[in-house]
Amino acid sequence: MNLRYVFKELTHQKRRTVISVLGLSIGIALFVILNVLSLAYREAARAPLKEVGADITVQRPGNVPQELTGAVFPCSAVTISEEEIEDIKAIPGIRGMGKAVLLWIFDPNRAWIVLGIEQNNPVGPSILKNFIMEGRYLETGKPEALVEAAYARQFSIRLGDNVNVAGRPYPVVGLIDASHASKIAVANLYLPLSEAQAIAAASKNLQSVSPFAGEDVNLLFIRADQDRITAVAAAIKGILGEKATVATPESFLKLLGSLFALSDKFTLAASIIAMIIAILIAFKTMAGNVAERAREIGVMKAVGWTHRNVTMQLLAESVIQGFAAGLLGLLIALAAAFALGFMTVNIPIPWEMSPTPHFLPGGGDPLFKTLRLPVHIPLSLAAFALLLSVIIGGLTGALLGRHISKIKPSEVLRHE
Amino acid sequence: MSLVVAEDITKDYRVGEMIVPALRGISFEIEPASFVSFVGPSGSGKTTLLNLIGCLDAPTSGRMTVAGADVGALDRKEGAAFRGANIGFIFQDFNLLPVLTAYENIEYPLLMVQNIPVEERRRRVTALLEAVGMADQAGKRPDQLSGGQKQRVAIARALVTSPKVVLADEPTANLDSKTAHTVVELMKKMRDELQTTFIFSTHDQKLVDEVEILFRLEDGLLASRGNGEG
Repeated sequence: MNLRYVFKELTHQKRRTVISVLGLSIGIALFVILNVLSLAYREAARAPLKEVGADITVQRPGNVPQELTGAVFPCSAVTISEEEIEDIKAIPGIRGMGKAVLLWIFDPNRAWIVLGIEQNNPVGPSILKNFIMEGRYLETGKPEALVEAAYARQFSIRLGDNVNVAGRPYPVVGLIDASHASKIAVANLYLPLSEAQAIAAASKNLQSVSPFAGEDVNLLFIRADQDRITAVAAAIKGILGEKATVATPESFLKLLGSLFALSDKFTLAASIIAMIIAILIAFKTMAGNVAERAREIGVMKAVGWTHRNVTMQLLAESVIQGFAAGLLGLLIALAAAFALGFMTVNIPIPWEMSPTPHFLPGGGDPLFKTLRLPVHIPLSLAAFALLLSVIIGGLTGALLGRHISKIKPSEVLRHE
Repeated sequence: MSLVVAEDITKDYRVGEMIVPALRGISFEIEPASFVSFVGPSGSGKTTLLNLIGCLDAPTSGRMTVAGADVGALDRKEGAAFRGANIGFIFQDFNLLPVLTAYENIEYPLLMVQNIPVEERRRRVTALLEAVGMADQAGKRPDQLSGGQKQRVAIARALVTSPKVVLADEPTANLDSKTAHTVVELMKKMRDELQTTFIFSTHDQKLVDEVEILFRLEDGLLASRGNGEG
């Protein structure tokens, strides 16, 4: 094998080389784009949960009292007991847990959506601290409140005011614009978790349908090992029952209903089809080239080339074409990824995770998390695609080389 | 000692269910540094015989010895090595590699088959380019050369490995008579300078007139052996 001869052959048959490289590169580009899209949708599906620093959220549906007075739980989130929380904590693969209590409080002159949060737990709604518009965030151990800015405007609540919630006064220490923070785990009043737990425990109306003890909650935020999220979710359902709402990136992906989000199997099948088309194009053009060179190869064999020399020559030519196709395919994929990055995706938030009562204005509206499709080509995928292209080129060349090396010079060199 | 010895050579080809005999018991000897031609009508077995001498094919029966080696008994790899070291080929259609220049076409058997160092390659190729009168065309590709020039390059390519035998199958068939004469003269000159044996197949009467030993083939049999006029 001689590299100068290899390059001369490739540049001499420009049209064939270009078709072969282009054909394979389109297959590689399709393969990369399909996988990138799949990854992007997966990444997008993580967004609603990522905003609250979690991989999984857990709720349990239940009943709402007939009479909506005082503090009640939404029907989508009733008591998760302390014992159950301990059992969940013990599931392998869980790396962190946040707790919250979501309440609807119907006071005589006002309705509140209240979220009791762990102020300093990075797993859960503590991300809110980054969205304070005025005042400050909740301090540990103090019975104080944050109010959603829009709600505060609507009801003329100001910083420093005392708000009376379920008969308890709370000074307003901050106004917050949570609409930019998250679509789940939002409310119009935020209290320390212990305060919300105390309100829930003291509510007879709530206790009548969903017994609640001091350390119980009704929302869990869980961070888990990425490769064990599905297993962890299944284990949680095992503890809380099949009716429990366990939201994972996978469940959001299903809600997306996108063609690319249907399943791994679709991406795999589409990738395989793309690669088969690429292989066929490369094989056809390379085979045409080799067939045209039968006489040339006959001459080579006549002057002393062995089967191995012929195979190595064609292998080198096809590996170089494969490498070039891989690079070109990545460039095409990069351009496509750039264009796809301008696409927006609306991730539907299930009604169970919407904190607003459906009977209040806007409560029944479908809720979406809208974001730019987070498209990027991971280095590992790029390297794999390049390697795949080289392997396809190499295999094609080796196969054709093996076939053509068997020709008899005495047959191909006969006069025409 | 004879360079080529053929002993009762037969060669059959299978065409479908039929066995077609191409050579039917041929024996001859060729001495080193000879200028020999096999002549005969189409289908008489000339090309088959050259293929057997050139180790491109094996006889059905009989024994073909070239430079002391029983070429019919060599396996594929040994055959390739034997051809690379001992045999040069000149073809009717020149069969130069279209992507390489005249220089590179002559050089590649040294580079790709014998792996000769660059300085030695340059020396040999340059000497042969001058010997065949193509030194000033070294950088041209085959499609930029005339038929006669291509055949000169092919002769240089056949000789560059210093083979013991050069086999030329109808080397002047695609050339006009003047160019054919020049090419034959060139081959003779190279035979004289390098003591290489040239064996042709031809039915070109002008070439027949130039050869020193003439074997006439008819229907796969050696009809006569005679001295040419060359």
